[in-house]
Amino acid sequence: MPTHIKNNIYAIIGNSAAGLAAIESIRRVDQSSRIVNISNQPQRPYSRCLLSYYLAGQYDKDILWIRPEDYYKKYDTEVLLNTAVTGADIKNKTLEISGKKKISFDKLLIATGASAKFLNIKGADKKGVFVLRTLEDADGILRMLPNVKNACILGGGLIGLRAAYALKRRGVAVHVIVKSEHIFSQMLDAEAADIMRQHLEVNGIEISTGLEAAEISGKDSVDGVILDDGNRLDCQLIIIGKGVAANLGIVKGQVKADMGILADERLETDRKDIYAAGDAAQAYDVLEEKNNVNQIWPAAIRQGKIAGLNMAGEEIKYEGSYGTNSLDFFDLAVMSFGVVKPKGGGFEELIALDAKRRLYRKIVVKGERIVGGVLINDVERHGILLHLALQKIDISDIKDILADEYFDFGKVIPLIKRQTNLFIRPEYKDTCVTYSPLY
Amino acid sequence: MSRKKLQDKANLKVLESAKKAGIETVWDRFEAQAPQCGFGMLGICCRMCNMGPCRIDPFGAGPKAGACGATADTIAARDMARATAAGSASHSDHARDLAMTLIAVGKGQTQGYAIRDPFKLKRVASEFGIEVENKKDNEIALQLGQKVLEEFGKQEGELVFSKRAPKKQQDIWKAQNIIPRGIDREVVETLSRTHEGMDQDYKNLVQTTMRVALADGWGGSMIATELSDILFGSPQPIRARANLGVLREDEVNVIIHGHEPTLSDVIATAAQDKELLDFAKAHGAKGINVAGICCTANEILVRRGLPVAGNFLQQELAILTGAIEVMVVDIQCIMPGVTQAAKHFHTKVISTSPKASIPGAEAIPFHEDKALDTAKHIIKLAIENYKNRDRSRMNIPKESMELVAGFTAENIFYHLGGRFRGSYKPLNENIINGRIRGVAGVVGCDNPKMGSGAHHVELVKELIKNNCLVVQTGCAAIECAKEGLLRPETAYEMAGDGLKEVCKAVGIPPVLHAGSCVDNSRILIACCEMVKEGGVGNGLDELPVAGAAIEWMAEKAMAIGWYFVSSGLLVAFGTPLRVTGSQALTDYITKDIENIVGGKWTFIEDPIECAHAMIAHIDKKRKALKLQPLLYAQSFPVQV
Amino acid sequence: MVQSKKIFCDITRCIACRTCEIACAVEHSITKDLFLGMLERPRPKKRAFVFFLERDVSRSTACQHCEEPPCMEACMSGCISKDEKTGKVDIDRSRCVGCWMCIMVCPFGIISRDITDKNKALKCDLCPDRESPACVDACPTKTLAYESRDEFLKRIKQAKKVYAHSHKK
Repeated sequence: MPTHIKNNIYAIIGNSAAGLAAIESIRRVDQSSRIVNISNQPQRPYSRCLLSYYLAGQYDKDILWIRPEDYYKKYDTEVLLNTAVTGADIKNKTLEISGKKKISFDKLLIATGASAKFLNIKGADKKGVFVLRTLEDADGILRMLPNVKNACILGGGLIGLRAAYALKRRGVAVHVIVKSEHIFSQMLDAEAADIMRQHLEVNGIEISTGLEAAEISGKDSVDGVILDDGNRLDCQLIIIGKGVAANLGIVKGQVKADMGILADERLETDRKDIYAAGDAAQAYDVLEEKNNVNQIWPAAIRQGKIAGLNMAGEEIKYEGSYGTNSLDFFDLAVMSFGVVKPKGGGFEELIALDAKRRLYRKIVVKGERIVGGVLINDVERHGILLHLALQKIDISDIKDILADEYFDFGKVIPLIKRQTNLFIRPEYKDTCVTYSPLY
Repeated sequence: MSRKKLQDKANLKVLESAKKAGIETVWDRFEAQAPQCGFGMLGICCRMCNMGPCRIDPFGAGPKAGACGATADTIAARDMARATAAGSASHSDHARDLAMTLIAVGKGQTQGYAIRDPFKLKRVASEFGIEVENKKDNEIALQLGQKVLEEFGKQEGELVFSKRAPKKQQDIWKAQNIIPRGIDREVVETLSRTHEGMDQDYKNLVQTTMRVALADGWGGSMIATELSDILFGSPQPIRARANLGVLREDEVNVIIHGHEPTLSDVIATAAQDKELLDFAKAHGAKGINVAGICCTANEILVRRGLPVAGNFLQQELAILTGAIEVMVVDIQCIMPGVTQAAKHFHTKVISTSPKASIPGAEAIPFHEDKALDTAKHIIKLAIENYKNRDRSRMNIPKESMELVAGFTAENIFYHLGGRFRGSYKPLNENIINGRIRGVAGVVGCDNPKMGSGAHHVELVKELIKNNCLVVQTGCAAIECAKEGLLRPETAYEMAGDGLKEVCKAVGIPPVLHAGSCVDNSRILIACCEMVKEGGVGNGLDELPVAGAAIEWMAEKAMAIGWYFVSSGLLVAFGTPLRVTGSQALTDYITKDIENIVGGKWTFIEDPIECAHAMIAHIDKKRKALKLQPLLYAQSFPVQV
Repeated sequence: MVQSKKIFCDITRCIACRTCEIACAVEHSITKDLFLGMLERPRPKKRAFVFFLERDVSRSTACQHCEEPPCMEACMSGCISKDEKTGKVDIDRSRCVGCWMCIMVCPFGIISRDITDKNKALKCDLCPDRESPACVDACPTKTLAYESRDEFLKRIKQAKKVYAHSHKK
């Protein structure tokens, strides 16, 4: 409950994960101030992460709308859709929208997200070359599909392979061109990548590694791609999956930025009352132990939520970000977090591999603390390991069973008992109140 | 849940006062057990070795094998085989005791026993290859007793009574290698085969299960029935009453509870002793009232017409009436709760078998050589205890029902055909001509899981309504007796037109009480007689016959079920055998096994659905035999 | 504020019979019957798990219905919600796409992949058709209780007193 009536104007640029989470958390503590949400996208909020599911035809468009139609009304928020922020005067706290109108604010959240990186090679402007970042991209690809027999995916990361999976499910022959030696080079280690690659290939997705597209051929429309080894692949559709870059545009030069806008532990930028969250922000990564961009949904929601609370006058510390992801292809699940390919000394890797059952567990430990891990197939324990890592728990007592097939939350309870102060969530304490006869 | 299904008014009345007094009964304890362990119910908890206990996850997400690697199929089959062996052992050990008594009678070392059916003695002795001409009964009894004992210890060959089965069954058993060789051997072999690391193929475990069960049906149980008839007389149809209302307010009430007639018979004799009657009168009682509970009740009912106080679930209730001076118990189905209940009243519980020691009961071991003295001593204790009865707490329900019991495979012969042209012809003819649809056995325990026996009543009513002649034994029979189904006049009204016509014409009730649970062997014999008479099939598996123990609870019921299935009949249980955690085993014993031994299992809890499944099975057999269409009936499309 | 109820487990009473697991699966079957449920395809699935802490020490664990549910923050289809009044964290199956982000961040590892039934995330729903969850009602040793944290702690404190007292003698 607010202790007094506030009369702020909160401007929030961006209406995806971080922006929405901020609106919701502000309204939890401040029901009286104005909130203005500006987005350059024309639709009501949707989930980008679900675009590949939509593209795959597994779900229809309705699945994308992550908030109800009356969302803005419910949260008493003024919304400006299809509106570009063309300028920002941070000193005077005003935004310029669509090149004319001005909006004043007391607090600003930059949740402008990220854009897909494009590929600057010859022919990349031809019809049939796509990225997969927006609903327009997905609809564009879907419109092409009836005339597509072969598709080429440039990039072996998350977006590239999700797109490949989606097209395969649509019956398109898919060839994935990966520059690195392994797929998922950011997310997985080599062993896990090989298991996933084999699984994808068994299910009919062609993958070539160590190659790059040199030129896209075709008249107006794409008819093929020429690789850097001189070979040519026929295709009528190309999707570029080369990662994303933070959208810094309007505040570039005004706030401190690296790969994203630098945000402190309150998610404020170096300029007072200007906050950043989501894919556009760069915060401290507790597992990598450095400033890092972690452009993932859970981080965006968390940052938006914390930023919103701090904007509304609460003093909430952000625990820090971390990298993690979850994928599922043809019923094989894979997840990873933190450091998966340790470089330098001091790391220990706990590994269990059962290639026949496609079970793979790798846990990276540094100084008796978990700093990363990769799981294939039995992924249910992923969250347990992740939280042990985030809370910097000393796992020396259970190190020998962490990668064990029968590891589960039960094995963590003795640790909660011994390191009570490190386990923050109240639910942790609930689970061990009666552990040991003397409690 | 279970209380809602309680139907019997007598039970309700006693339970109400028990509740007020804060005394627990089987229903309370059963409710406290709920919910019962699903692993146990599905038969996928294995306790065969100390690497375990191991459990299989029935929903497939967790362990699929025990520590040793045993799958749900192996674990459920082993559990089932062992339980069946225990059931078979129970009946057979009961039979062994009777053989010992027969030998003691032969040697003249008993008190109060005699050969009461010399005709049957000779007939059975001849079957065992004993020369009976010009021999005294005692001599024959001694020889027969010894021969019968050999059945237990035999290592090879075939049980003598297995030859009573039609040739077709004997051939099937030989082909499947399930003819029992010796009774004890089959039990021992089953125990050995179910040890950790032994027999692992569920089909092979079903084989040993069938053989150990046949060793009961065509061994232990049949021996027990035959020797009981020889020693205590073959039953004849007799009128009596059943339910707690048979207890007397002004007489000394002695309850005999358990299974062996050795005990009950001599107590019934002692209760007629003039001296003791005078002793009772001197203590202010008008007489001595001996009533039975459980199968002991059935044994003295069919032979002496003594009243039945109740069935298995009523054992505590009898004590809770506050009117029992002494409850004498021997073996099997004696709930430990009995002595708990007795603590609240003046009732003395007296245990008589060294095999069943019961804390809280006074042990007075029973020996054949002093049987009558011991019986008199017990009755005397009861009379002396009469003065301790607290009349203010006495609560004897009014309910008791008239019944006719005492039908056997032999005497039904005469009832069907008349004494001078005794034959199964009338039964077979009326099945063939479609007046009687077939024969259904409704037997077995009563189980608090299903209330208090009401399922038997519903089942029997539906069966006779649809022109099935019903044969009953055990606690199921007592339950139906209490509801009046064993009273011919009542049963006629409920029977279908065809069955009614036949029953009235030959003078039998539509529901026949054939005795205790070992007396299920009488049903086997009757089925053999039907085959012998001809026209309704060449083997037991071809007969339009089905059996049910819808409220089964004892391991003995599993042995009975299995010997009927192995003998070619359909057996319906209400709650399933503990096998359903294994789909393969369940399918095998409910489907595939029919092609092997002719019989099979079905599990149906609803009594009406169960009746319809039995009827559908009977109709299937009728169709296969190309019998005439039923004169008065609709058919049931239920497939089993 | 009224504390919301959830399932608490008294570790000292748990004997690892896994009755809670079976009761859970049966409650979430179509027929709600053990024997018939066995025949259902897809097979009913449990959402409660008996975890072992160490030898002879176990506890039944299902969704903790966290005060700040990480799964809700991670869900990219917005299908996970927390009821402000009851505290229940629920998955809207119709919107779940099986991305497993919730599993990725669950601190307790009690969300499962329901791969045989439309690839949805599966976890304790506190048995919406019942007054108290099936696992709680099924527990033969009264290990589980459906109550608020304060009620649980109070009850445990009481039990501890009795325990300490009986051990003094």
